[in-house]
Amino acid sequence: MADAPILRPPRLSVRLRPLYRWIGLAALLALTVAFLLPILWMTTTSFQAGEKMFQLTTDWIPTEWHWENYPNALSRAAFPTFFFNSTVVSVIVMVGNVVFCTLAGYGLAKFRFPGDRWVLLAILCTLMLPLEVTLVPTFLVVYKFGWLNSYQGIAGPLVIEAFGIFLMRQSMLSIPADYIEAARIDGAGELRILWKIIVPQCRPALAVLAVFSFRDSWDQFLWPLTVVSVNEYRTFPLGLVAFGEDYGTPPTEQMSIAVLATIPVFLLFAVLQRWVNRGFGLSGLK
Amino acid sequence: MVNKTNSTPGAGPSRRDILRGLGAAGAGAAALGFGQRAWAQARAPVNISFWTFENPQQRPWLHKRIRLFMEQNPAVKVDFQFFPFGDLGKKLSVGFATGTAPDGFVSQDWFMPTWLAKDLLAPLDVQRLGYSSVKSFSDDFTQAFVAGATKDGKVYGYPLWFYGFANYLNTKQFKEVGLDAERDWPQTWEQLGEVAKRLTVKSGERFTRQGFKFAMHAAQWTMIQFNPMLIQHGGAWFDDSGKCTINNAAGVKAMTVRASIARTYGAEDPADSIATAPLPQMDWLRERASMFFCHPIPPAAIASQNQKMLSEGYYRPVQYPGVEPGRGFSTTYGFNLVVNARAPKEKQEVLHDLYKFMMSDLADCWKDTAPFTLARKSGWADTPEVRQFPHVDEIIKAKDQGVYLPRTVVYNELADAVHRGVQRIMLNRADIKATLDEIAAEVDRATEASKRG
Amino acid sequence: MAGRPGENTLAAPAAYAARPSRRFWRLHFQRRITLWGIAFVLPAILFFIVFKFGPMIWAIELSFTSYDMVSEPAFVGLDNYRKLMADPVFGASLFNTLVYIAGSTVLITLVSLGLAMAINTRVPGARYCMMAMFLTNLMPIIAVCLVWRFLLHPFGLMTQLLAPFGIDRVDWLTDTRTAMPAIIAVTAWRFAPYFMVVFLAGLLAIPRDYYEAAEIDGATARHRFVHVTLPLLMPTIFFVVVISALLSARIFLMPYIMTGGGPGNATRVLSMLIYETGFSYLKMGEAAAISVVLFAIMLVFTMGQMRLFMRGERVHG
Repeated sequence: MADAPILRPPRLSVRLRPLYRWIGLAALLALTVAFLLPILWMTTTSFQAGEKMFQLTTDWIPTEWHWENYPNALSRAAFPTFFFNSTVVSVIVMVGNVVFCTLAGYGLAKFRFPGDRWVLLAILCTLMLPLEVTLVPTFLVVYKFGWLNSYQGIAGPLVIEAFGIFLMRQSMLSIPADYIEAARIDGAGELRILWKIIVPQCRPALAVLAVFSFRDSWDQFLWPLTVVSVNEYRTFPLGLVAFGEDYGTPPTEQMSIAVLATIPVFLLFAVLQRWVNRGFGLSGLK
Repeated sequence: MVNKTNSTPGAGPSRRDILRGLGAAGAGAAALGFGQRAWAQARAPVNISFWTFENPQQRPWLHKRIRLFMEQNPAVKVDFQFFPFGDLGKKLSVGFATGTAPDGFVSQDWFMPTWLAKDLLAPLDVQRLGYSSVKSFSDDFTQAFVAGATKDGKVYGYPLWFYGFANYLNTKQFKEVGLDAERDWPQTWEQLGEVAKRLTVKSGERFTRQGFKFAMHAAQWTMIQFNPMLIQHGGAWFDDSGKCTINNAAGVKAMTVRASIARTYGAEDPADSIATAPLPQMDWLRERASMFFCHPIPPAAIASQNQKMLSEGYYRPVQYPGVEPGRGFSTTYGFNLVVNARAPKEKQEVLHDLYKFMMSDLADCWKDTAPFTLARKSGWADTPEVRQFPHVDEIIKAKDQGVYLPRTVVYNELADAVHRGVQRIMLNRADIKATLDEIAAEVDRATEASKRG
Repeated sequence: MAGRPGENTLAAPAAYAARPSRRFWRLHFQRRITLWGIAFVLPAILFFIVFKFGPMIWAIELSFTSYDMVSEPAFVGLDNYRKLMADPVFGASLFNTLVYIAGSTVLITLVSLGLAMAINTRVPGARYCMMAMFLTNLMPIIAVCLVWRFLLHPFGLMTQLLAPFGIDRVDWLTDTRTAMPAIIAVTAWRFAPYFMVVFLAGLLAIPRDYYEAAEIDGATARHRFVHVTLPLLMPTIFFVVVISALLSARIFLMPYIMTGGGPGNATRVLSMLIYETGFSYLKMGEAAAISVVLFAIMLVFTMGQMRLFMRGERVHG
């Protein structure tokens, strides 16, 4: 799928004349701006004076830019620690998914062993078992492991997701078996084949997997809320919800934290964007 | 770090005996600091975990006292953790269930029955806390409050803060509509409605200013604000058999009064609030509401939102309205220092000393946490700092005449059910009687389940 | 793709055909590769047993007990289920969950398909519009909830936008009638751009000859959409529906932050009820029973996903 011949962009079902093209663009732009309004509001509000939030008027451009909202917000509670924790957990989850989903995806795409179909179906079944649903017993499992209040406790249950395995498997199916055979004849070990032949072909899928497993872990709220009871291991969403327990914490600073929390995911996406687009099968889009 | 509650076994008896001797010697010398320094020399390091709720004044004071205690007792290390006010109870429940509960913690008084029903707390050694007997201990506190911390003649909680709700008025806004807050403050529920109506300012359908405001954002606030209304109108949460009676005639009357501010007098808009969890009094502080039922509001909290209100002093607390003038009372509630029954003996002893040390300077406590009043009778109320505090008499009066939140093992279920019911009544104009029936049924189911469990 | 996946892989390489001990060697070789295959999949299998199937079985087991985590679980038979059936709060939460799944699935599918088709008109800059919209999908959910909670204040931005229509107040989150639709709309705002990309990939994969043929036949735009685009897009639509349903069934944070499940029970969903029952009321048995009900709901959609998957496999095979 990854290196499938790039589809020629289908000639538009609607052939637009220049005037209409501009109208179309205007409409699409309007739609995009409408979609982005809340993000824009979040960003400008994060620079507003604390008062603004209570006046329920919307000044899109702050009359004064309060840059100090950012350092002030970071000094509330223990946000640097919370962000650090979120980063550690999300990186563990991302690496775990990238490594284990690649292995499992490969195993399921290019090998046959007794019961392999059942394994596939079983993995598919885990889609119906997200943490929100198995909250109680998963909490008990993590507790029995002695993992409450620890990074492994927060990250553990998220380290492999079925989606990742399917994503990797599907992207590997189209890699010709001959490549692998040829390498085997040359005496390459299985891990070497995986690393040298399979992985380079799967970069787009890996990029998608990396971005989304990072984001999913970054987003986790209910699970850390359940397993963490000490400040040292809280992640930023918990801090953000408890925000404002200090007198005089302006809600605008809550938006500053929200903006800061958005940046890492945007950055990761931006860095991997070229691959992600291909991973989504959008190579044909100009 | 992670608290490993049961990691070290208690010291052998001989060692404990030596210590008891040392403790006695310390008590004999009547010098608290001296006695505790003896600890440090005699003991191997003791690691203690301690949890409390977050509050910008109370939490730092606790932390300060703990740090001081650690300085004086280098062998004692206290791991200090704190949680959002509404999360502490949940975290403790799960902590007890998983053996990760702290050695000592600050318990909200309405959770005491839950802990006591399951024998999760250790009885306190009142002598170690500096009292000659349980009676002299009990006598030092407001009776009804300490009653919530005792069971079968044993004391399980060392009451710390303890305060009542008051009706906070914006006196400037009173003046604006030709009222004098000193004279015209609402003493009955009808007056509350009338006064609130006069204070209300609307432009079209929209409130510029709400005359009065009930908190709508959290179950705990719904309970605290409504509890005295129910009791004033002759209602009760439960009857003797444990059945929920919020839906009897008195309950309906109380809830009708609760709803009347919006429904009859048109003086509040339950859906329009800028308040969120930590500061429900935000509408009042921002002068979008003229009156609000609240716990004692510290000057720092007012200053943080409305410097002018503080410096010009145009606010004051008054007592809750009553069914009859002058008979109003509110909810009082408070916090106990407690010890985990599963903590090793040695840690329990250190916690006693820590608590005694914390409570040894209540004037300092008031200085840092005013106007959060204290449960103890002695040691603070007569100091000049307390006497000079604005409106302190109203605040203390509210504490002394208030009523308690229901003491029940299904408190969480009750609070959630009532909160949902109030939302339906206030936001969806649901029928009051029918809604109260639903609440009662929900609570009875929870009670039934807790009996079976 | 020719052959079932993996089949070619397992055939012995032709280079060995000439060897005398071919049969033995082939067996040996095959077994070694099979073992490697198992080794690759094994970590995932073990992980899923510990963190997915173990908990699932445990939840089913717990659902027949009364368990407060302090004392040992006590077997109570179907008691928890009976209690749930009689509990109006559970009934309301179940109903809300189903409404939410249906509502957000439909809205997400329609909006994302619409957006994808708009992008696919390839007006200049369409690609950048797509990427900009995709940002809503990357914003942390907690930030989404906090931002929208402010925007949906009765007099907040969303109401201000309605001012030209003479509407100056909407109790978005505090009115029983609007609270759930509001949360569904926010859900679509957040997730539709993701599925827009999925649809776009689906649209791009439709060979252009199909459209050209249709054009020669003189089909109108609407005809082309109904007779070419839609049928060829069916598997994608099915995928989007199933995945967004699975996504919606587990929703927790949006109602938790924006409405707290209120007003009344208007936006209380099963995942919130699981959390409350388990960790606030310490009724782990009852919470587990709710989990089992939620499994059942999700199972329906998972079966859908399975069917889709099997069909996909058949195409390959």
